Formats: sequence, C-alpha cells, structure tokens
Amino acid sequence: MIVGEQKPIDEIWGMVKDFKKVLVYGCNTCVAICHAGGGKEAEIIASMLRMKAAQDNVDMQIDNAAIERHCEPEFFEPLDEKVKSYDLVLSTACGVGVNFLADRLAGTIPVYPGINTSFYGGVPEAGFFVELCGGCGNCILHLTGGICPIVRCSKSLMNGPCGGTDKGKCEVSSETDCAWYLIVERMKKLGTLEKLFEVQPPRDWSTGTHGGPRRVSLEHIRAYEEQEEKKAEGK
Amino acid sequence: MSLLSNSTKRGSVLIVGGGIGGMQAALDLADSGFKVHMVQRDPSIGGTMVMLDKTFPTGDCAMCMISPKMVEAGRHLNIDVHTLAEVTSVEGEAGDFKVKVKLAPRYVDADKCTGCGDCEVKCPKKVLSEFDQKLGQRKAVYSLFPQAVPNTRAIDASQCLCLNDPDKKRCRLCEKACKAGAINYEDKGKEIELNVGAVILSPGLERYDARVRQELGLGRWPNVVSSIQFERILSASGPYKGVVQRPSDQKHPKKVAWIQCVGSRDNHNANPWCSSVCCMYATKQSIIAKEHDKNIEPTVFYMEMRAFGKDFDKYVERAKNEYGVRYQRAMVSAVREEPGTGNLLLKYAAEDGKLATENFDMVVLSVGFQPHCDAEAFAKTFGIDTNQYLFPKTSPFAPVRTSRDGIFAAGIYQGPKDIPETVLQGSSVAGSVMALLAEARGTETVEKELPPETDVSGEAPRIGVFVCHCGTNISSTVNIDEVVNAVKDQPGVTYVTNTIYACAQDNQDMIKQTIREQKLNRVVIASCTPRTHEKLFQETIREAGLNKYLFDLADIREQCSWCHKGQNEVATKKAIGIVKMSVAKSRLQEPLHSETVGVTPACLIIGGGIAGMTAALSLADQGFPVHIIEKDNELGGLVRNVYRTLEGLDVQEFLKDRVEAVKEHPQITVHTGVEVKKTDGFVGNFNTALTDGSTVEHGAVILATGGIEYQPTEYLYGQSPNVITQRQLEKTIADGVNPAAGERYVMVQCVGSREEPNQYCSRICCQDAVRNAIAIKEQNADAEVVIIYRDVRTYGLREDYYKRARDLGVIFVRYDVDNKPKVEQAGNRVKVKTWDFMLNKDISFDADWLVLSTGLRPHPTTDQVGAMYKVTRNPDGYFLEAHVKLRPVDFPSEGLFVAGLGHAPKNIDETVTQALAASGRAGVILSHKKLAVSGIIAKHKRELCMSCLSCLRVCPFGSPYIAEDGKISHNEVKCMGCGICAGICPAKAFQVNNFRDDQILAMIDAAAESEAGVVN
Repeated sequence: MIVGEQKPIDEIWGMVKDFKKVLVYGCNTCVAICHAGGGKEAEIIASMLRMKAAQDNVDMQIDNAAIERHCEPEFFEPLDEKVKSYDLVLSTACGVGVNFLADRLAGTIPVYPGINTSFYGGVPEAGFFVELCGGCGNCILHLTGGICPIVRCSKSLMNGPCGGTDKGKCEVSSETDCAWYLIVERMKKLGTLEKLFEVQPPRDWSTGTHGGPRRVSLEHIRAYEEQEEKKAEGK
Repeated sequence: MSLLSNSTKRGSVLIVGGGIGGMQAALDLADSGFKVHMVQRDPSIGGTMVMLDKTFPTGDCAMCMISPKMVEAGRHLNIDVHTLAEVTSVEGEAGDFKVKVKLAPRYVDADKCTGCGDCEVKCPKKVLSEFDQKLGQRKAVYSLFPQAVPNTRAIDASQCLCLNDPDKKRCRLCEKACKAGAINYEDKGKEIELNVGAVILSPGLERYDARVRQELGLGRWPNVVSSIQFERILSASGPYKGVVQRPSDQKHPKKVAWIQCVGSRDNHNANPWCSSVCCMYATKQSIIAKEHDKNIEPTVFYMEMRAFGKDFDKYVERAKNEYGVRYQRAMVSAVREEPGTGNLLLKYAAEDGKLATENFDMVVLSVGFQPHCDAEAFAKTFGIDTNQYLFPKTSPFAPVRTSRDGIFAAGIYQGPKDIPETVLQGSSVAGSVMALLAEARGTETVEKELPPETDVSGEAPRIGVFVCHCGTNISSTVNIDEVVNAVKDQPGVTYVTNTIYACAQDNQDMIKQTIREQKLNRVVIASCTPRTHEKLFQETIREAGLNKYLFDLADIREQCSWCHKGQNEVATKKAIGIVKMSVAKSRLQEPLHSETVGVTPACLIIGGGIAGMTAALSLADQGFPVHIIEKDNELGGLVRNVYRTLEGLDVQEFLKDRVEAVKEHPQITVHTGVEVKKTDGFVGNFNTALTDGSTVEHGAVILATGGIEYQPTEYLYGQSPNVITQRQLEKTIADGVNPAAGERYVMVQCVGSREEPNQYCSRICCQDAVRNAIAIKEQNADAEVVIIYRDVRTYGLREDYYKRARDLGVIFVRYDVDNKPKVEQAGNRVKVKTWDFMLNKDISFDADWLVLSTGLRPHPTTDQVGAMYKVTRNPDGYFLEAHVKLRPVDFPSEGLFVAGLGHAPKNIDETVTQALAASGRAGVILSHKKLAVSGIIAKHKRELCMSCLSCLRVCPFGSPYIAEDGKISHNEVKCMGCGICAGICPAKAFQVNNFRDDQILAMIDAAAESEAGVVN
C-alpha cells in the first residue's frame, strides 16, 4: 500500500491562500486507509482551511470532494466539469494522483499536493506504518529471507552488514533494526544461511528509479483491447 | 411463600447500607430477578465514596463514577430505597425473614419533592456540613450533597427553627418557597415490615476520631486536618472549590505532611488493626494536591508502606519519582503549632534513631476505620456473632457469610478494605444470595406494562419542546419566556410550553397528554441534566407510545443557569442556543429498536483451582450448568501446596471438601487434562471447542487461570541444602517436623517481588512468613525466627498475627532494596548479612534454614487464554479488568469475568470473594432468557467500508470482525456504542445511532446560527 502523510496545515495554507476557489480533492484508496487523504480527510482539511480563511479575513470558497481512485481516468469523469470550475485543486491523493490529475487538466488549473507521499508500506498496528519495499523493479527477496535490504538497510547494502551494525540495531538510529542482522537470523532459522556466501554482483539499478520513468505493459490485455477497439471501428 | 413457586423462600433481599458495596449488590440482584429493599441511615445513599475527590490510580472523579450507579439504584423498578431508616428487628430464618424497619421523619414528602432546592435557598438556618466534614456549611433543610439519591431534601429536626418552636409557627420559609407543596412539618416517620429471603449487611465503618490523639493536634491546631477533610479540600465541589488552602488563613501551603496510621495499628491508644487503605489514599492525596498546586511539597510519615494491591507499588514509585513525594519512615510523636505562623512543628525519630523536628505548613492525619459506635447493638439486632473488635465473624473460606444463615456481610463492615474490594464483595454477596434463593428468582420482581409503540416513520417531524423552570434554578437566571419564543418558529417545532417542574408527576402526565393531543412525534425537554433525568423522560414519552429514542434533553441548568449565575442575558442567549441545538438534532432522530439475543444458561470456567471451583459451585447452586476446564489432571491448582491459612484453618481439608462438592454436583461437568482450543461468540452465546474434541455452548465465561510461584535463582537457592522456600517450610511444618531448640530460621521477604521487572507486591508472602514463624515459635519457643523484610504488609485484621509473631519473639529486621541481605554458605549453615538501620552497620545471622518468601506470577497460560478471548493483560501479565475501581471482575466485553490469581496476587479469602463475585456477575447474565442490546450502537455501512481494519484494531469490545468473505463486518450485539470506530473510520462507514454525523453537524450549525456559547 502507498503510505502518505498530510502536510502541515500552515504549509497547505501557504499554497492555497492566494486562490479564490479551491477544491480539496480526496482519493478513497491507499491514502484513505492511512488516514491521510481520503474523502474524510479532504473534508477536514477543507473545513480547517475555511476556518483559517475566516480568521484571516480572506474571501475564498473552499469545497471538498472525493473519488474512489486518482490513478485511473474513468473515476474522474463524473466530476470533471465541477473540477474545472475551480482555480486550484488541492489533491490529497498520493503523488501518482497529483501527476495524473495535473496531466488530465493539462495546464488549465494547477493541482497542488496536500500530502507527502512517504513510501510503500505495511500497517502492523492501527496508526503505524512501516516501509518494507523500495519498488526497485528487480526483486531479490528470495535471497534475503523475505527481508528487503534495499529499503530496510539504511545503506541498501547487498552483501552483508556494514561496520555500523550494533547488537542488531543500525548506527543511523537505535530504533532501526539492522536489516542484515535480521536477514542472518531469519536465514539461520530457514536453514539457508549458506546462500549468503554467494557474492551478489553490482546491481543493475536501471530497473529502479535510475533508469528513467518506468512502464509496465501487459501485452495480452493490451492486444485484447486493441482488438475490441478495431471491432468497434469496423461496425 | 413465594407467589409463583412452591418454594418457601422469598425472592426479595434486604440490604442494609447504601454505599458502593451495597449498591453493587443491589444492582446485581435486582438485575437478575430479585426484589431489593435498601435501608440507609443517611438521607441519601452513597456512603463513604461520595465524599472522596478522586480515586487512584486513574485519577477518576469519585462522584462521577458513583453518581450513575446511585441514579441507577434510585430509579430501578426492583430496588426500593428507604433512607433515614434503620432495622429494628429480624425474625425468621434463611429464605424467609421478617424485618421491621423504622423510618425517621424526613419532613419533606419525597413523592412531591422535585429536588429543585428552592427551600434550601430560603432556609435561614446555617449548620456545619457533615458531608464537607464541618469545613463548609449547609442549611437546616438540606440534601447531603448535590447528587443525592433520592433527589429530595430532608429537614434536620435538631436545627430547624420551626420544628424547634413548640407552636411550629416560626420561620416556615421553606414551606413558602416550595412550589410543589412538599414540606410537611407534621411528619412523624413510620415503621414498615418487610419479608425477605436474605439480608446483606454493608453498613460501612466509621472513621477514627483523631481528636482523641491530642498530641497530633486535630481540633486544636486549625491547620491540622483529617484525611477525609483533605478529600473535601481537594474536591472541586468542596468547601474550598478544590483550591488547596489552610483552614486558618486560606494561605496556600507549601510543605504538607501526612501522618499515617492515626487510630490504626496501635493497640495501646487506638485500634490494633491496619485500616488497609490509608497508605494508598495518602499517596493519592499527595499526588492530587501536587496536581492542584505544583508548589506543594508532600511528605508522608509512615511505619510501613502497605501498597499490597494490584499495581499499588507502581503508583507509589510514581509518586516518589514523578511527583517528588517524600516518604519518611517515622511515627510522628507530637505536632505543635509554631506561634504566630499557623505552621506546625512535627517531632519524630529519623531512621537512624535521632530525634528531629520539622516545620510544615499543613498536616493531614491519615485516619483509619473502626466499627460504628453501635456495632454491638447492630450485630444483636441481626443476631450475628462478631469478633473481639465487633467486626462480623466470617471465615476465610466463606468470607461473606456471617454466623447466621441467610445473613451476609460485605464491604468494609466485613473488614477494612478499599473500593474495588468492596465492590467485589458487593457482587460476591449477590452471588451468594442468588445461590441461596435460586428457586425464588423472579417471584417478587415487577415489569412495566407499556402501550404499543406508535409508528411515526415517514411522518414529518412534529417536535414538542418543554422548557422547565426547575423551580427557580433555571428561571432565576434564564428568561424562560424568551427561550419559548425563540424556539417557536424553529422548523419542525409544533408545540412549545414552559413548566415549573417537568419531572413532577402531574407535569409528566401533562407531557404525555400533550404528546397525544398535539400528535407529537419528537420531544425535547430543556431542563436540568441528562445524568439524572434522561431515562425518566425517555420512559415518559415511551408511556405515551413514542419510541424512547425520539427524546432529547437540552441541559440548560447544569450547563447554563448554574455556571452562568448572575449573567442573565448571556445565559438566556446560551439557553436558546442549547435548545435550538437539541431541536436540530431532534428533527433528524429516528425511532431505534433494540435487538434482543437469546442466552445459553450455562457457564464455562477456565481453571479448576479454588477460584474456579468456588465460582462453579455458586453458579451450579443458582441452577446453571457449569463446565470447568482444567489443564492438569486433577482439580486444586496452586492451593494444593498450601496447608494452613494465617488464621490456622486447614486448607487441605477445605480443598478436599470443595473438590468433592464439585465432583458430586449434578450441574457441574469437570473436564480435566483439557484446554480450550478455539472460542467464538459473544455475551449469552459462546461456543468453545476443547482440545479433546468436544464443544461447549455457554452464555458466560469465567477466566480463573490462576498463578504459579516464582522459582528463585537468588540467595543460593538450589545450591545450598539450607535454602528453602516458604512453601517448602510450610510442608515440613504440616508434616509435623518439630524445630529444635536454638534452631535458627532466617526468612527473606520480597524474593522476586517489588523490583524490576516484577514491580509488584505478591501480597501473600508476608502472611506466609508470619504464619510459619508463629507455627515454629508455638511448637518450640526456643527456636529462633528472624524475618528480614522491606515492609510487613499484614493489612486489615491480619495485623493481629504480626503482633502475635512479635509477642512470640520473632525478630523483624528491615532491609532496603538497594542493599539486599548477602548470603554465603558457612559449613552446614548459611551466613546472612544485612544492614541494621539503628546500629548503622551490618549484622549477621548464622541460619540453619534460610527461607525465601517467593512471589507469585500469572500462570503461563494467561497470555494464550487472554489472546483467545481478546482480553488484555497488564505489563506484569495479569488480566486487566474493565475498570480497576468499579468493575473489578468484569472485562470490557460483556459476558467475560475474571477471578483468582490470574487477576492479581491475593489470599485465599480474597480469591473466594472474587470467585463468588464472578458467579454473581455471571448469574446476572445467565438469569435472563434474552438480553436486550442498547439502541445506541454503531451501525456499519458495508458498502462504504474499505476494510482498512482501523475499527477492528481500536474497538475495546471486539465487535468489528473479519467475516468469512475476508472483509470487515460488525457484530452489533457486542457493540457498546462508545463511538471510537465512528471517530477513526476513514470511510465514515460507522455511524453511532443518535450521534450521527448529520445530527452533530445540524447541532453545530444551529449553535453557529444562534451564536450560542459566546459567554465571557
């Protein structure tokens, strides 16, 4: 799941205060689950901004809305006309959603982010989120006991811990587990410790964020869609 | 004869004393099919707890906790509260007693009185208030305290000007002030006769009068106060409105001293017993005082810190470390006033024996409890035996039974104890009575007949608003006519009127009639407070055929006229806002229908120790099938290794007797060598699978998983043949091995207790040591016993045995946790070296036996069972009850109860008490054929839900769950309507009935429109 965190209200206010008509636009998927930018949070942010505007005697209209997901065009369609009537959209979706909507609005209206997109993570307990995957595009979790060294090791080391490992903790913070300590302990339990003696060659980071924007294309689905489109044209 | 059965037993119970213990018993009994008569000497129920400011460790306001219980007891259809009443005679036998009760004249007709208090305002006679411990004043016509139940006044005949005038012509101002015509100077009181099946005695104790101890200066130096006076000083509703100040000059004291054991633990000048509660209340008072005024520097002068209860030691540690409370181990010998300053000079011997004098701004005497001055006559009236101190005679194996069959004792009357244990005993006597009178259950209770509900669905709102004057309580501050006019044209309002007392009987009838005539389908009453009157008015509209949830109370007294007295204009404005808010909410109200669920009348008990067996027998005697699940192959639990109680009773005999009774009881099924595998369900409807493949259907569960003894690793245990545990010594004594002359036993206390990571008192070890020491000394006076201790915690009446041990020549040597005794092997003996505080150096003993008093731990299965039933454990691993003060055997989820060592370390008598209490609480549920679920619950809209699990994780009652389709569903039966889910749900899929977002928003809009709340 994508985890996001609301921006401080003062920062948001700084972004929106010069506009006359603002829509706070929530996304009811990942960021709703992490209590950052769903319909409810959009409503709360809008309400706080209205109060701020009233306090500062700023004459502006602030409304709120939300849709199921900000990363697929069909969800946007029913509200497109409404959205276009605003001067600014404050999106509380993740960065994907902000990009997606900004592209869709194609420079007619600005789209600003209401939240910071933090990471892909799990929710081990209510109100607590942890980063567990870096989205590097070339998974090696089968080699590391299901523990990702890319995000869980502060240095993304691939061949064991650095000298900063300290009784199972990382030198960066005593609250951070040393990923390589965890990996070794886990592999011991799994009885696969010997796998760690295989040296991992330097990684090809081009599948990660260092090789330009990434795309995934499912040819079998795209082929089907094209076929359907052709059929429709033929009629 | 009962009316419905052939039993000769009565289905009603007399409870003498309306404190928290009596109330708990009354509510448990009345909620499970018994008629209750409560007799209370004071003009209100409430007892001691109502006088307290806050309770530890949660800092909850005592009144806020007890007041709802008082209201519930006062309003219960099957509880008759007789105040200003005393029992004069009891005839008959268990199951059928004839009781005569004398009711003193109240001079106020409680049926007519609405509790408005106008009489009190007009009464010219001021009297020192007993409730405020004579630090404040009351009138001659008065209620004991503002939240008194019954909510009516009484005239103090000894003070009233009219009643003291032979012609009764003087004054009569209260009569003129009373618009309800409730004053009756001719009241003569009366005598009534009651037929009951059982009698519960919970009259409480009185406090030691510390004026007797003249050297401590109470009543002589104004800045010396008793601890109960200090409670009133701390109380926001007390004489100083919660400001800590000195009585002499209203200055804020800086250095405040608490002197412990005033009137307790002193068999020369006062009472020999320990009052059990003073160490902790002094700690609480010093913390609360510090919270009220951070400049206060508290010092507690004490002999021994008896923090023996659950989490008590942690609280004391917090007082020391977080609040800087100073604990000085010393008995203060004299308190003198410093001339001119009002300060007090305290004389005491410091730990090294040197005399010290210290100056304090204020002194609090921690006074103890003692039986009422008429305790002997009281016992005689009820025909029960007492001990030498006039406490009722009870046994550790049957702690709530008196010497007379059918008469039970509970609360501090039974022996000094704190609030949770008093509440426990309340439920415990209730459980005992339920067992005694099982066949008469339901024979004398009444149910209300109600007309069918009118269907108002689809109708446009027709709201009736009744604005109450509450005598002059509201109308002297709020302009009622303005409120009426302002509400008239609110949308949906079709009728508005004012009324002097909405709650008076004739006006209730008027409201019902208006509902019918005006075809009202919603009612708003603007009046006093929902705390006492919401249920009453809900019943009123229900009697007129409206669903009770179509009512709303606009609180314009406690939240308006009272707190804005003298600001009539703004108060009126605010009242208008409050009423408009209620009307806005009312427009959106819907009739709510409570679901009911059936109840499987059987109980599952996990653990077959004393707790489990006691609860099983009590429930089985109540007529319910019981299943005991015992992991071991035999019943008995930890108590199999215990031979004698402190009092010398034979524990093994008791155990044998219980095991046999359990095995023989036709209602009890024992599953030994078996554990719970899986459990499912909710209150009234549990289904539990056992490891032997069988399943049990049951309506309630009692977790009596017990505890284990700590196995020591310190003090050469396991290395030296001379080192044994207290339990091993006990067995040797039981086996008849006699100590030789000169043989030396050195005992070390608190082994594995009261230090990190086990920062809690195991509660039983001091008594174990004292009991074994006495046994050794009694067998051979020439054997030597030394007990090396931190604090001897022989609380309550157990203090006698501490004294007996000292009298027999047992030597007590104190040690500090930072300087523990050192042990080394010395030939065929061990050498024990410890610090002596008086000599200021180490002393050593050559011991033949080093006996370790090892602590208790929760049973290892506690965690697993807890996880299975979704109940939490405290950091020490013990089950965490629903509320440490008022719900000591309940869990937050209904239908689950706890008893015995799984809850916290305790002695056998306390385990028996808690087990009986669990049986009483479980009996309340099992006695119902159906359980009604409240209408105020959260509703879950599955189509909005994203299954984010926030609700599942935060709900204290386990009502949201992951359904078979893998998505969240909601079990409304488990829901208590707290609304946490509605708050956290990011999809707004949860809405609490009658507190829905649209209703709250409508209220906020209404408030914003009328600019209410702008009160400076």
